Amino acid sequence: MVHLIEIENYSWQYLNTPQEALKNINLKIEQGSFVGIIGPNGAGKTTLAYSMDGLIPGQYRGLKHGVVKIRGIEVEEYPRGRLQQMVGMVFSDPEAQFTAMTVEDELVFGMENLGMSLPEIRERLEWVTELTELKHLLLKPPYEISGGQKQRVALAAVLAMTPEVLILDEPTSMLDPVSRKRVFEVLQKLKQSQNTVIVIEHSLENLIPLADRMILLADGEIALDAETGEFFQRLDLLLEKGISPPGAMRFFYELTQKNLYHGRLPLTVDEAAALLRGAA
Amino acid sequence: MNKTLLGYVPKESPIYFIHPFVKLYFLLVVSLFPMFITQPEVNLFIMAVILLLMIWSRVDLRILRIYVPVAIAMGWIILLSYTVLGGTHPEFELLAKVLGIKIYWERLRDGVVVYCRILPMIATMVFFLTTSRERDVIVAMRSVRIPFVVTYVFAMALRSSGMVLEDFQIVRQAEQARGFDTTGKSLGYKIRKYVMYMIPLFALSLRRTEEFTNALVARGYAFTGEAAKVKRADYILTHYSFKLHDGILVALISILFIIILTLRYGYNAFSLDSSLLINWLYQILR
Repeated sequence: MVHLIEIENYSWQYLNTPQEALKNINLKIEQGSFVGIIGPNGAGKTTLAYSMDGLIPGQYRGLKHGVVKIRGIEVEEYPRGRLQQMVGMVFSDPEAQFTAMTVEDELVFGMENLGMSLPEIRERLEWVTELTELKHLLLKPPYEISGGQKQRVALAAVLAMTPEVLILDEPTSMLDPVSRKRVFEVLQKLKQSQNTVIVIEHSLENLIPLADRMILLADGEIALDAETGEFFQRLDLLLEKGISPPGAMRFFYELTQKNLYHGRLPLTVDEAAALLRGAA
Repeated sequence: MNKTLLGYVPKESPIYFIHPFVKLYFLLVVSLFPMFITQPEVNLFIMAVILLLMIWSRVDLRILRIYVPVAIAMGWIILLSYTVLGGTHPEFELLAKVLGIKIYWERLRDGVVVYCRILPMIATMVFFLTTSRERDVIVAMRSVRIPFVVTYVFAMALRSSGMVLEDFQIVRQAEQARGFDTTGKSLGYKIRKYVMYMIPLFALSLRRTEEFTNALVARGYAFTGEAAKVKRADYILTHYSFKLHDGILVALISILFIIILTLRYGYNAFSLDSSLLINWLYQILR
């Protein structure tokens, strides 16, 4: 299997901070996988995302140990712009990442930076607006649309650059449940087309059905890294680290604690319903 | 309705047939016209033409209401500056003496001339702002080959000014929620306490700058153009084409400007001596 991202013995400490934000991280991410990263605030999730996109150490000062490689090349060795062509990044605050005056300008900005030709830009714009259902908003200023639409614009702007790996840093943290669902619908389509996606997210209900693999970060370290089904069988550890599991999973966990249930914890409401139906 | 920099214009407005560069050219050149015209009636005529253009463009003229108090206040300031605060000029014709203040005809006349010069300049600017979006300004600049970096910085300056205002509201509301409110307090108090808003606003701006820089880097942007060693395609410009009527309009504006300059400096036209309005005003006030 091809490892798109390889992180070995990686630690990062921001300048003038007393402790490392990330400690001894070892991580390999395969092409085409959908990875969820969770953890409490301050666990180092954003720092890890920035490290994979080259924003760290490019835009921040600090001490780095170990290596972060994308396609076998360390992030610092990429010429400016080349790495961003491979790794797309969507930030949590959609408004803060807008770089243009209309949605259309926003979507083409990245493609223009990569030096794409006009027919190519046109073709990708068509594709990405269809994927994210933004066609009707093209002429609107991005800061005048709803929160959910803003985040879809931010996502579309990065997708239009067709990066090999897409990293989303809490993309739905500022959205209502309906908008959150629509963002995950786009991610579902990306998963179906075998894109490599890494999502840092608190909304586990939406993330679990998509993620092939989950990583728990706590205090700058990887506390747990496993295939999604296995990952959530360690609910005691997740609860200890401050992770709030979905209601259905929590319900079965409570049953387990009371010796009323001894099987695997269901990941989704559908799985829970199937278990209850089986028990009845 | 389409939102412009200063209001809304219906989606069916004929102004959309005009290339953004023509609008910018109109602003830059027509706003110079009053500087070469001293006759107030001609300047008022220019203003009327601009108002007609706004009606033709189907601009919602209610937007002009906000300028009425400004125009009146500005008129008073100019009038007072030229008359009451105009100083003593024995060489000028004395019209009246009010509370020991001498009002001279020449100073009064100059005040009217200046005011009537400023009004069409403002009207030109308002016409531009009510019929153009941020994108139009950028397209106009790029269509005359102004480097992308310059137009981009300009666009971001436009955008950040709006963001700073939004942030200011957030800071103000947050401080009001914590019991700090300058509403109803004296101006001196407000000025003294303004720093209470400025410090968090400054901190917020620094954070915005960091986020924005990250977003630019993440989109592969570099001011040096090194991100991609190829020519940058300007997709937005493909939506606009400079048509024959645009060329004719630019030529007309240019010819009009040349005519005004020729009449002004070649034939001493637009002088105050031949101004009907000034002569009429003189007859009344004498």
